[in-house]
Amino acid sequence: MGKRLAGIFWALLFLAVPVFGVATFAIAPAYDHWLPKDVSEHGASIDSLFYFILALTGVVFVVTEVLLFWFMWKYDAAKQQGGATYIQGSHTLEVVWTIIPAATLLFLAIYQMNAWADVKMRRPAMAPTVEVVARQFEWRLRYPGRDGTLGTADDLFLVNDLHLPIDEDVLIQLKSMDVLHSFFLPNVRIKQDAVPGMKIPVWFKAREAGEFDIVCAELCGWGHYKMKGRITLEPRASFDAWLERKYAEQQTTQPPPESPGDLAASN
Amino acid sequence: MNRHLVVASVALLVLAAGCGKTPPASFRLNMVQATKTAAPDSELNTSWTSWSRERQEQVATILEALFGTPDEPVALAESGLDEAKLRLAAGPVRSDIVGRKNGLYREHCVHCHGISGDGMGPTAAFLNPYPRDYRPGKFKFKSTWRDAKPTQADLVRVLHEGIAGTSMPSFALLSAGQVDALAEYVRYLSIRGETEAALFGYAEQELGSGDKLPTTREFLVGEILAPIVEKWKVAEESQIPVAAVPAGIDFSLPGSDLANRESVARGRALFLGDGGCVKCHGVTALGDGQANDYDDWNKAIVEVSKEVAGSLETSRTTSTSGMPAEKLAEYRARAEWLHAFAGVLEGDALRPRTIPPRNLRLGVYRGGRRPLDLYRRLYTGINGAPMPGVGPSGPGAKGSVADAEIWHIVNYLRSLPYEFDGELGADRPMVAKDRF
Repeated sequence: MGKRLAGIFWALLFLAVPVFGVATFAIAPAYDHWLPKDVSEHGASIDSLFYFILALTGVVFVVTEVLLFWFMWKYDAAKQQGGATYIQGSHTLEVVWTIIPAATLLFLAIYQMNAWADVKMRRPAMAPTVEVVARQFEWRLRYPGRDGTLGTADDLFLVNDLHLPIDEDVLIQLKSMDVLHSFFLPNVRIKQDAVPGMKIPVWFKAREAGEFDIVCAELCGWGHYKMKGRITLEPRASFDAWLERKYAEQQTTQPPPESPGDLAASN
Repeated sequence: MNRHLVVASVALLVLAAGCGKTPPASFRLNMVQATKTAAPDSELNTSWTSWSRERQEQVATILEALFGTPDEPVALAESGLDEAKLRLAAGPVRSDIVGRKNGLYREHCVHCHGISGDGMGPTAAFLNPYPRDYRPGKFKFKSTWRDAKPTQADLVRVLHEGIAGTSMPSFALLSAGQVDALAEYVRYLSIRGETEAALFGYAEQELGSGDKLPTTREFLVGEILAPIVEKWKVAEESQIPVAAVPAGIDFSLPGSDLANRESVARGRALFLGDGGCVKCHGVTALGDGQANDYDDWNKAIVEVSKEVAGSLETSRTTSTSGMPAEKLAEYRARAEWLHAFAGVLEGDALRPRTIPPRNLRLGVYRGGRRPLDLYRRLYTGINGAPMPGVGPSGPGAKGSVADAEIWHIVNYLRSLPYEFDGELGADRPMVAKDRF
């Protein structure tokens, strides 16, 4: 009797895996643990790929787990008379379960090519809008200034506070000053490793204004968890105004008027 | 089956009980100074270890009464500190009842700057330059006269921008209130450190070996704390004057622009001449002049280490044969102290690093890249560092370069990373845009 109970226990335990697995995914969106809001042009294709693969693997997961439960339930040793039967294997079965996954993977490989090319290969022909240099543990930014060229005297230097225009292509030149980092914009569906010694182009087109996180997605040292920046996406006009304001700040020659240093200067 | 049960219950117990409570955080004494002031004098004080321990305990008790602990900071009315801000910054990282983040110092700063603000947190030894030790109360990047304390705005600016070229990151995304609280806590650690130094200093100069420090409020607050707090109080009024930018300088244009040519040439002449910049930064401004100098706090360690090493050598080579018993006891006490001091220098101080002069062609400016920042660096120099100022050393004094002329040097400095327009060749040094 005890053995029979043990068999039922283990079978039900294994059944709990697909039940809880599916339940977790089903209730996650209600608790706001789902994909972050997408504000990019290309994000929809990434998300649909994600959902497609999730559905595919989800079905396989449920079927496999239910089968596992079924076999444990049906062929419980306590209920069985006699031993197991030895078989030589089935050539047909081997071929079928090799070809089906291979075909599925091949399909995925081809199906995603366009999305991949959009994000990683079809770089817009333009000068970088901004250079992002990852560093333990901050994002150093450099805007090319009025002449549109990086590395000239009118560059604008900032830290952690990235602003970019919406409704147009932006090109980011990504570099790292020390170790591997990963430039991750969850809301723009962009994730790109920053590699020391390499200039890596990253591009996207945002559809919606807003303030979002920049996070580091590659363990880069003790401070990795707080290597956080902020990206502000805004219409071109306010982006330009912001650039001008920051540029004027970088040209500051006098302390703010309320401070006594300025009074001394005017005396 | 039984074995599994045992393993599982042990695992459960460990999970439930946690790994024991960590003891509450406590400030560490400045052992270098404590040991230094405990030098056995010639009055034959062979029991220096016990009285110096007593003195350390007394200083620690006084400091705790004046400043509290890292978990429970105290701001006396006379300290001019805001206890509410300190409480936001101090203590373990936690959220309070309204969900506000507390323990900011331990979340963001402690691993480099240390619980006592001694710049010796766990990550400090791996950094170059080392994190700032707040205890001497010396700060580099500020708007005030060289020896004056930084203003609130100065501290906030460093927190906000970080320090380019060092390991100090930017905290630009923290709220203004959080940055404010952290700046207040930095000031608190500084005032506390300076008070500690003043107490040991007083003991060294005024007291005999076994004497106790006076513990009256009059002495501690009036004589020790007040002069330190006063310096911080006058910081806001100690800002250097900033001359108006003379005609012929347009900082929004590159140095190579015709509008700036003359001023840049004038700045270059000052750089090579009256400014005295070439001694360290070199004629090419690559920072290849004298490069073996230290920041003040590192220099102090270098000097005292040399002294101790020298005395140890003398003590080793001194023959004790035929020494009278009295002398021998003194010799032993001193040798014991020297060994203890050498141990403290090894374990309680970071190995000094030199501070090389900046390569001015990289376009990396630790104290900020605004013309105003460069002007201030040039005017007062960099407090604590070997960099001298070209402006007056104090109100009413005369500098080596006139105030308005400093703007020409600023203009020249800003042109340096972009000085050459041609191809990279043997005839010109590497500049900012060639890097990477």
